[in-house]
Amino acid sequence: MIELKGVTKRFGDETAVDAISLTVKPGELCALVGTSGCGKSTTLRMINRLIEHDEGEIHIDGRPIREFDGRLLRRRIGYAIQSTGLFPHWTVARNIGLVPRLLKWPAARVRERVEELMGLLGLPVDQFADRYPAQLSGGQAQRVGVARALAADPDILLMDEPFGALDPITREGLQAELRDLQSRLRKTIVFVTHDMDEALALADRLVVMKAGHIVQQGTPLALLRAPADDFVASLLGGDDRGLKEAAITQVAERMLPLSPRLLPQARVHRDATLRQALAVMFREHADRLAVVDDEAMPIGELSLRRIVGAGRDGSGES
Amino acid sequence: MSGRQVNAWAAPLLWLSLLLLLALGGDWLEPLLRWSEPDARRVLYPQADLLTLLVRHVQVVAIASGLAVVIGVGAAILVTRPGGRDFLPLVAQFASMGQTFPPVAVLALAVPVLGFGTWPIIVALLLYGLLPIVRNTLAGLEGVDPAVQEAARGMGMGGAQRLWQVELPLAAPVILAGIRTSVTVNIATAALGATVGASNLGAPIIAGIVNNNTAYILQGALMIGLLALVVDSVFARLLPARQ
Repeated sequence: MIELKGVTKRFGDETAVDAISLTVKPGELCALVGTSGCGKSTTLRMINRLIEHDEGEIHIDGRPIREFDGRLLRRRIGYAIQSTGLFPHWTVARNIGLVPRLLKWPAARVRERVEELMGLLGLPVDQFADRYPAQLSGGQAQRVGVARALAADPDILLMDEPFGALDPITREGLQAELRDLQSRLRKTIVFVTHDMDEALALADRLVVMKAGHIVQQGTPLALLRAPADDFVASLLGGDDRGLKEAAITQVAERMLPLSPRLLPQARVHRDATLRQALAVMFREHADRLAVVDDEAMPIGELSLRRIVGAGRDGSGES
Repeated sequence: MSGRQVNAWAAPLLWLSLLLLLALGGDWLEPLLRWSEPDARRVLYPQADLLTLLVRHVQVVAIASGLAVVIGVGAAILVTRPGGRDFLPLVAQFASMGQTFPPVAVLALAVPVLGFGTWPIIVALLLYGLLPIVRNTLAGLEGVDPAVQEAARGMGMGGAQRLWQVELPLAAPVILAGIRTSVTVNIATAALGATVGASNLGAPIIAGIVNNNTAYILQGALMIGLLALVVDSVFARLLPARQ
């Protein structure tokens, strides 16, 4: 659990972060979003004391972070950044094993952990362990960066635009993997990004920042449906907000379970998003879709009426 | 692999054997040198002396360069630490001054203080050799990717761990290149020491000038050149082209 209470950071005369308060619950993925220079990266870096806060208090698991030695604190908090910061003169395996070695784990345990993580991140040990960062693609390097952040099994993970430098396809692949990883590991993650689609896809909670303040925070759906002001609304995509909401709602949440009516030809998987369902309708010129499961067996029906949620309260939140 | 290694050492070995040939070589050199100086009484500089002078020359350069490395690298490391940043411009200036100050002038100034002999030239070489080392060490340390520095800090590495495990290894090629320049230049400059009584490979050159004997000058100059080539090619071997 991470708690920020009235935290302020000034650089000279400029106030980068102005008395913000924020609580990140255990197992929660909290995305900090906002335009450049809004203080989101500074906020992130204050949590592991790469930057010291000037005022207020930051607590981790109930203890003020100033009670910890900065280095020891950082060894128990995973940290992944956009440019990966992998050590170019170290192999992949050595890079991943950095924090466990700093924590003086026995060599055999470090090796075991490195291999476990490489498996988890889809990096075959025999292919990648002895490579150098320069021999990796952007996506592979970022996986190594995430593996390094997870190496000592920290409860907390800080990620500063980890996928920002990747091409869209690689980025979406890694986002899906992170979501999958998070559903298994349940880390407490603070994630900085300026990519709103990424934030909506990953976050349990969105925190919108502007000029060092928190403008609004809540679940992605709550923000999409009720943005606090024009800034939040435009950051969330303006009129595109509806489609963004559709993109984070699953077909299974809106479908009508198998009905006796004749099923339409066009079909969509139940794990697809409403946005994808809309795309299928548009392409197939259909206003009804059959919803199928993994074996392509029909399990329900989805109509345009149900997608737009006419007559529903939109109970898509979890 | 072993074939490549033999190749890599070929250049240093070639220059070293030529150098030793000159230092130990016997009378067969006489006709060659006679050609440059047909009328002189002697053309062969006393051989026993040449080997001693070579050893002395190497000693002087080794001491001066060793000190320059310790002081230069040490100073550059200190001024790139958080506590020493304020002194960075001062150190950079001082190193540049050392380079622009002519070694001859240093010699002239040092002799009254240190007396004739080896010490004045060691001081002159030390000052003269500092700049490339300081400048390259600064460039190497400052050139470490900020993202790598950030990650090293973010992973919880301490200052000394970052220096030894990250910064110095990454800066090493640039630092070594600076040391290489410094040492090779100093091998040539050390000859000046002979003017103030240091016995080194400058001695045959000075003797040649005084006695108007080109053969002596040639022997001294060739040996200094070959010594510089030996050292330079060893450095080339130590600095593998990365990637």
